[in-house]
Amino acid sequence: MKSVARRLALIMGLGLILGIAAQPTQAQSLAELKARGSLKVGMLVDFPPFGIINTDNKPDGYDADVARALADNLGLKLDLVAVTGPNRIPYLLSGQIDVLVASLGITPERAEKVTFSKPYAGIRTAVIGTAGTDFSTPDKLIGKRVGLARASTQDIAFTKVAKEGTLIQRFDDDASAVQALLSGQVDAIGCSNVVVDQILKVAPGRFEEKFPLSQQVQGIAVRPGSTEFLGAVDKFLVELKTSGKLNDISKKWLGAPAAEFVLKTN
Amino acid sequence: MYHFNFAPVLASWPDLLAGIETTLVLSASAMAIGLAVSIVLAAAKTSGFWALRFVVDAYVELIRNTPFLVQIFFIYFGLPSLGLRLTPTSAALLALVVNFSAYATEIIRAGIESIHHGQIEAGRALGLSGVQVFLYIVLKPALRNVYPAMTSQFIYLMLTSSVVSAISAGDLAAAGNDIQSRTFASFEVYIVVTLIYLVMSSAFSAIFSAIERAVFNYPVSR
Repeated sequence: MKSVARRLALIMGLGLILGIAAQPTQAQSLAELKARGSLKVGMLVDFPPFGIINTDNKPDGYDADVARALADNLGLKLDLVAVTGPNRIPYLLSGQIDVLVASLGITPERAEKVTFSKPYAGIRTAVIGTAGTDFSTPDKLIGKRVGLARASTQDIAFTKVAKEGTLIQRFDDDASAVQALLSGQVDAIGCSNVVVDQILKVAPGRFEEKFPLSQQVQGIAVRPGSTEFLGAVDKFLVELKTSGKLNDISKKWLGAPAAEFVLKTN
Repeated sequence: MYHFNFAPVLASWPDLLAGIETTLVLSASAMAIGLAVSIVLAAAKTSGFWALRFVVDAYVELIRNTPFLVQIFFIYFGLPSLGLRLTPTSAALLALVVNFSAYATEIIRAGIESIHHGQIEAGRALGLSGVQVFLYIVLKPALRNVYPAMTSQFIYLMLTSSVVSAISAGDLAAAGNDIQSRTFASFEVYIVVTLIYLVMSSAFSAIFSAIERAVFNYPVSR
């Protein structure tokens, strides 16, 4: 009896997997959403400050605020669904959610699976150094001391472009690298745009950005072929950027206004 | 079951070797300089001049009651605002000497105070100079008396040097962290680094025993 039940469960499970796999990825239409009255948005809850669980045990963060604004804009009730890094694209493609606002970095590989909106968030890393010095290229940093947070995005990006003879000093975190720059123990550091803004705030005029290292933008993702829906999302993003609302969200969660490369609307 | 893969760690042996070298050079230099500094400070403390004693006491208390990490941050990040800019390695060496000397001063002071005053008077009566009395009658037996405590402080100094990676000095711990962040084989990296520290500590212990046999191997009456 037991083995029959197990076999049945197995067959059902297999069927479920095959069913999901075989299910054609259907485009999302706006009319369908309006009829349902709600928008199911997938977001990460383990990626602060973009996606977190707040003290009320509800999903919150930069992504949640953008999702809330999107649902408001479309006149729909927001239904946040917690997804994880590995399962967020399967969630979208299998139709369990309508749209992903899940800090999904726009990459060519992902763009083959899902359709991306214009960027709604982004992280950029750059080299920042003492104002007035010519550190415009990696060549100019030969013999100079460059501080980096060990194993960070900027560490990987800078190590790749650094020329032989550059004195790379790796610290345990961003805070130590910034401290080394402020106290003059290094000539330049690599850091993200959020940290750059903080440095320019605490030490106005002493430092300036020298050259960019890496840039990644995050987009809202919809199922392929959802042209009309994507158009509505992109229209919403233009409004979000021009109204200054995205700036407010960025200030609230990242402590700095949205970077220019995120805000541009073309 | 975790699958160990030591290949990427062992492939980074040049980094590990450079880290070992930095750790050994830093520790050995700090031991030598620190020993000299703490002998001078212990002599000053037991000299009988209250001002000297007060200064040494203040230094010892300040260092022994603050964390090493804070001391090294102060030297590397704080001193530049006073005009003293040190490279990570020099800052690490200075911090190790400053930290070690505070503990060693107290150990050597205890050794000096263990010398019976009658011995010093006997030395003077034999016509030895003040320097000779200090070197042969006070210092050498004093060091002999506290040698075990000093060796464990030396070993502790070498292990403490692993903290200097916080100011980007390239010691063995920093090399381990770099390899770990490249290969993500953290478990393997820390096993290898731990074993290397263990071997280095044992080697230092062996050297200290050899020094003890060579320098302090003479009969004493108690």
